[in-house]
Amino acid sequence: MRIILVGYGVVGKGVTTILSRRYTEKNKNFGFNPKVVAVADVDGAVINPQGLSPDKLEEIKQGGYPISADPEFGCPGIKALNVIKEVEAEVVVEITPVNIKTAEPAMSHIVQAFKTGKHVVTTNKGPLALAMPALTELAQYNNVYFRFSGTVGGGTPVLEFAKRCLAGDQILGIKGILNGTTNYILSEMSQNRISFQDALSTAQKLGYAEREPSMDIDGFDTACKTVILANWILGQKVTLKDVERTGIREVSLQDLDRASKLGNTIKLVGAIDDKNKPVVKPVEISKTNPLCVSGVLNAVTFQCEFAAEQTIVGRGAGGIETAGAVLRDLLDIRHKLAAKLLT
Amino acid sequence: MRIVMKFGGTSVGSGENIRHVGDLVTQYSKKHKVAVVVSALAGVTNSLIETGCQAQKSDQVQIESFTSSLLKRHIDATVSAINSKSIQKEVIEITEKSVAELEKVLTGICYVGELTPKSKNYVMSFGERLSAPIVCGAIKDHKTQSLFFTGKEAGIVTDSNFGEATPLMNYTSHLLRERLDPVMEQGIVPVVTGFTAANQDGIVTTVGRGGSDYTATILGVALQADEVWIWTDVDGIMTTDPKLVPAARMLPQLSYQEAAEMAIFGAKAMHPRALGPVNIENIPVRIRNTHNPKNSGTLITKEPAENKTKPVKAVALIKDVAMVNVYGAAMVGAPGSYAKVFDVLGKNNINVMMVSSAVSEANISMVIKRNMLGRAVSNIEIALHERGGIISEVTTEDDVAAIAVMGAHMKGTLGVASKIFNIVAKKGINIRMIAQGSSELNISFVVKEKDGAAVVQAIHEEFNLDKP
Repeated sequence: MRIILVGYGVVGKGVTTILSRRYTEKNKNFGFNPKVVAVADVDGAVINPQGLSPDKLEEIKQGGYPISADPEFGCPGIKALNVIKEVEAEVVVEITPVNIKTAEPAMSHIVQAFKTGKHVVTTNKGPLALAMPALTELAQYNNVYFRFSGTVGGGTPVLEFAKRCLAGDQILGIKGILNGTTNYILSEMSQNRISFQDALSTAQKLGYAEREPSMDIDGFDTACKTVILANWILGQKVTLKDVERTGIREVSLQDLDRASKLGNTIKLVGAIDDKNKPVVKPVEISKTNPLCVSGVLNAVTFQCEFAAEQTIVGRGAGGIETAGAVLRDLLDIRHKLAAKLLT
Repeated sequence: MRIVMKFGGTSVGSGENIRHVGDLVTQYSKKHKVAVVVSALAGVTNSLIETGCQAQKSDQVQIESFTSSLLKRHIDATVSAINSKSIQKEVIEITEKSVAELEKVLTGICYVGELTPKSKNYVMSFGERLSAPIVCGAIKDHKTQSLFFTGKEAGIVTDSNFGEATPLMNYTSHLLRERLDPVMEQGIVPVVTGFTAANQDGIVTTVGRGGSDYTATILGVALQADEVWIWTDVDGIMTTDPKLVPAARMLPQLSYQEAAEMAIFGAKAMHPRALGPVNIENIPVRIRNTHNPKNSGTLITKEPAENKTKPVKAVALIKDVAMVNVYGAAMVGAPGSYAKVFDVLGKNNINVMMVSSAVSEANISMVIKRNMLGRAVSNIEIALHERGGIISEVTTEDDVAAIAVMGAHMKGTLGVASKIFNIVAKKGINIRMIAQGSSELNISFVVKEKDGAAVVQAIHEEFNLDKP
């Protein structure tokens, strides 16, 4: 399977590493023969129809050069959009930085891939948060697959769990702790009795929070994931604008103490049901609730008609974890394509 | 309120009318957020199709005379619609550019001698491309900010079924919101060309049946409008043709389903396809008269609040139709035999308007347009009446008319049909054919054409359709 990687950051590197690691095993077990034929980022691209070596990509990046600096296959200045359009491949893996204002450049990359008949795997929440109904429709119209399991729960298969494992059951509502950073901050505050500011600084020092932390602590990231769950699992047509959102800036130690006395704690929860608009806000939940995970963990509870409450827990971020989700999506597409080609 | 307003061909038929549209839009945009959808000037789309077909026969002289008269008509309209000289100049420049482009396209068709569905759509789209800037100019002339967009620029993306394209509704909604929301929020009135759109590669398509009304309802859904207003030249949908029954009354409210049934009323009602998007999202549609804006028109909603004891709401006379009856003992109990009959008609582009067949299965009666009768009979005979064919006889009646009695509350109301047929019997009129779908929204039947008007009048009177 020929793959174009668009964006070469932490997840991108994770993807190349994972694809080359235990390659023989993948080939034997899944008949999966991945070839990264192009990698594109803001500076240009590196293209080789025979497949690029992950080690060499790594080496160039380590040296502080853009990947297009490759002496043999580098194409400095070439636009990612053109690479997607012109390089022959089955799948485009879109992993550029998240932009929740315009969703660009990821939005254009994905649309271009669809138009040229390429399947898309993405971990980018921006386009999904702003235009998920549009993108799923466009994929269907162009008869290509669109997979994005890395957008919710990182490496934890939250979306597949609901879509596959709970197939046939009706999911009535979803509640989730979907952002590791805020969960870490809230856990720190309540366990070590430190202020929001101090907990945020610690998180920033440890690399859990960005220097510009608004995306996490104001609940945007959780809201994006909630939108994806609402569309994909509950079949709603909502975008980021439809989410009622409150972040954790206003959560005080006093609030946490009061909750603790009742055997509860406060978590930033994204919630959706079939009647109301998605809501993201800090809520009090019981410490014995399986949803109540600490640190950077994520947890999602699906309220089902038959299976009642089902909760899945796991690490919600990380380059290699998220790259693992990309691999799952690629294998899923390979599987579906094979079935299609043989009928 | 957020309102999408569509102005049809007659509403923008002349410069004077366009000036009036500018005035109307300005008045409403003071209180509401308005987006406008416009049709081509009356008659322009048909003349474009004709010229396209002629260009195909390599008639170059025709092109020049056509484009110059087209240019003149639009410039005349601009001059009488818009007072400001600078806006006039702006609009005329756009018009000249568009007409020059059209001339090139037609010349191209002339050279190649071929009018593909793609190029035909492109040619047809010029009607709206020429009318929209004038309407936009007329709005600006009334000191209201306005911008004009082609369907493609606004973000209406369809499949590639040229001439009958269907929008990719979610993608279209996304783009329309992204492009028109900010414009409307600033109090600017966007004017969008009706009927035309583009596929995902940017090639111009047209939405076909439903036309500009369809564009308006697409915009209504995408922009989450509170209402969609279809401005036309009648007060609303009537209980029947006022030429037949002078006491005919305007219907203040209808359901989407009823409105769809009334498509047979012709251009005065809306094509069911155009009602599709608003029906799903439950956005009300209002049919209004540009020349009588005081009248609030016919409101089409999911569940109209009205007199539920009244089973019949409207009655229509459908003229210029003919009845075809096919008989064949071989059809009885043979799966697929009806399909064969309809397949032959479909392949010959003959639309079947009404069907009736008894449980005995030995014959099917159909109503089609009268001008299709010869073609229908001939093709059925050729295909199915040979030795071994399933049809043993085809008979026709071309002096008939169909009558449709409609109303949502006919469903489950006992005695409606008996009342209808009693009236017809009392008049000494014979019913030739009857059809009622299980939706019970509509009972249709066929009588001799000479009796049609009398039957409609009698039903209108019997069911008190002149009273609310």
